[in-house]
Amino acid sequence: MILPLTIGVLVTAGVYLLTRRSMVRAVFGIGLLSHAANLLILTAGVTSFREEPIAGRVDPALAADPLPQAFVLTAIVITLAVMVLMLTMAVIGHDDDLRRAPEVGETPDS
Amino acid sequence: MSPAALLPLLVAVPLLAAGVTVVVRVAAVQRALLVGVPAATAVAGLALLRAHAATPVLADAVGAFEPGIAIPFVSDTLTAVMLVVTGATTAVCAWFLCLTGEDRYRFVPPLALMLTGGVNGALLTGDLFNLFVFVEVMLLPSYALIAVTGSWRRLGIGRMFVLVNLVTSTFLLMGAALVYGAAGTVNLAALAGAAADDPQVGLAVSVVLLALLVKGGIVPVHGWLPRAYPATSAGIMALFAGLHTKVGLYAVYRIVAVAYGGQIPWAGLFGAAVVLTILVGALGTNAERRMRGGIAYQMVSGVGHILVGVALFTPAALAAGVFYLVHHIVTVGALVLAVGAVEHTYGTGRLDRLSGLMRRERWASAIVGLGLFSLVGLPPTSGLWGKVGLVLASAAAPSAWGVVFIVAMMIASVISLLALQRWWVAAFGGPPLQTYRPDDPEHGRGVAVPLPDDVRIPGRLLAPATVLIAVSVVMFAGAGVLFPVAQDAAGGLLDVGPYVEAVLGR
Repeated sequence: MILPLTIGVLVTAGVYLLTRRSMVRAVFGIGLLSHAANLLILTAGVTSFREEPIAGRVDPALAADPLPQAFVLTAIVITLAVMVLMLTMAVIGHDDDLRRAPEVGETPDS
Repeated sequence: MSPAALLPLLVAVPLLAAGVTVVVRVAAVQRALLVGVPAATAVAGLALLRAHAATPVLADAVGAFEPGIAIPFVSDTLTAVMLVVTGATTAVCAWFLCLTGEDRYRFVPPLALMLTGGVNGALLTGDLFNLFVFVEVMLLPSYALIAVTGSWRRLGIGRMFVLVNLVTSTFLLMGAALVYGAAGTVNLAALAGAAADDPQVGLAVSVVLLALLVKGGIVPVHGWLPRAYPATSAGIMALFAGLHTKVGLYAVYRIVAVAYGGQIPWAGLFGAAVVLTILVGALGTNAERRMRGGIAYQMVSGVGHILVGVALFTPAALAAGVFYLVHHIVTVGALVLAVGAVEHTYGTGRLDRLSGLMRRERWASAIVGLGLFSLVGLPPTSGLWGKVGLVLASAAAPSAWGVVFIVAMMIASVISLLALQRWWVAAFGGPPLQTYRPDDPEHGRGVAVPLPDDVRIPGRLLAPATVLIAVSVVMFAGAGVLFPVAQDAAGGLLDVGPYVEAVLGR
C-alpha cells in the first residue's frame, strides 16, 4: 500500500506546484510528477526484493524483472536532461514570473 | 543482410549529423547536412515504399535480442508515407531557415537534425516505451529551438510549451508503465488485440492514447497549440506544424489499429471530441489577429478531420484520413512559409497592420490564395480530395457518427471559408500598404517607417512555399495515383497480421 500512497502524494504535490506561476516551482512540480511516474513503473514489476537479474548466475524464478528497471533508468536520464533545460529557462527568463512583461525594448505585439 | 536491418540508420544518421554540426561550424557543411539529411530521409521513405510493394512489413529487432524482448523498428506503407512527407517537409523548412538566416543562430542545425532523428524514431518504433523515448528526443530540441530563435516573448511561450508537453510526456510514461503492469509487455505487436480483449490493458493503453491526443492538439486540450506555434518564428512553426502533432496522430492511428483492433475506446466521447475539434478550430480562426494565429487554429480543425479516419475505422475512412494527413502537412507548411516570407519582408504578421498585399505581391498572393483554397477544400488543390474522401467515407460508414461528422465538416468548411475570407481581405485586400517595419539590429522588430516603392519579397524567400503548394496541386491532379498508396497504408492498419508476424517472427 505504501507505494500507491506515495505515488498519490507525489502526483498531488506535483500538480499543486504546477499550478503555481513561478517557473522554479513548476519545475519542481514536474520533478515530483516524474518521480511518481518512475515509482509507477517500478510497481509494474515485482516490488519486493528479488535477486539481481544476471543470466547464468541467478535462477530466473528468483530474479527481479529487469525491464522496469531499464525503463526507470532511461526515464531518470531523460528527466534529468529536461530539468536542467527547464531550470536554465527559469534562470534566463526570470523576469517573466511577474505579471508585467519584462522591459526588453521590443514592442509586445509586433 | 535484409533491408530491415538498415531501419535504425534512419535514426542514427540524423543524430550523428547533429553531432557533426555541433563540431563543424562551417556554414556550408551545416547547411548541406541541415537540408540534406531530411531529404535523404524522404528518399529512404520512397525506397521503403517501393520495398513494401513486395514485403508489406519490414521489422528489425535492434541488437538481435529475442523477438518480443528486443526493441523493434517496424516500417509498413503508412510509416513509409509518413517518412517521405515529414522528411520532405523538414527539408523544405530547413531550406527556408537557411534563406532567412535563422540557421546561423547557435545550434539551430544540430537541434533541427535531432528533431528529425526523433521524428523518424517515433514513426518507426514498435514499442510504447521506446515511443516515449523518441517523443522526448523530438521535443527536447523543440524546446530549445523555440528559445534559441526567439525573443524574450518567445522564451515565455517556450516555457508554456515545455510544461504542457512535459506533463503530457509524463502521462505517456505512466501509461506505458500501466500497460507493462497490465499486459507484461510494451511491445505493440505483442499487445495486438490485447487492449480490446482485456479491459485492464485497454484502460492502460487509453492513458497512452490520451497523452498522444494532447500532443496531437484535440479539443478540449488544444489550447497550447494556437498559443505556442504562432509565437515562434515562421520557419520553426512550419517545422513543428509538419512534425509534432502529426507524429502524435500517426501514433494514435497505429495504436488504435494494433492494440484495439480498430475499436477505439469510449467511441462516443472520442467522436464528440473530434466533432468539437473540427468546429472549434474553424471558429477560433475568426478571433485571431495575426496571420499565423489563424493558420494555427486551422491546424486544430485539421486535427479533427484527420481523426475522423480513426473514429470510423472503415477502409475508406482510414485511406481518406491518411490522405488528409499528408495534404494537411503540405498545405499548412506552404501557408506558414509564405506568410513567413511576408513577415520577414514587411516586419509584421498582424492583420490590422497589413493591407493591399495582393497588388504588391502577386506571387505570394497566388501561393497564399491556393493555400487557403486547400484549407477550405476547393480545387485545384489537395484539400478538395481530402475533404471529398472524408465525406464519402463518412457517408458510407455503418455507424451513425458518419452523418454527424459530415455535418460538422460542412459547417466547419463554411465557417473556415468566412473566417479565411476575412483573413485574406485584411492582409491582402484593402488600400495599399503605407508603412512597414524593417528589422532593427538592436531590438529585432523595429518601428513603422514609410514603405518605399521598391520593397518586395525576394523571390528566393518564396521558393520553399512554392515547392510545397506545388506538391498540393500535384496531389490534386495525381490523386488517382496517390489514393491507392493511402489505401495500402489503410490496409496495413486494418489487417495487423503481417505487422505482428514481422515483429514477432511468428
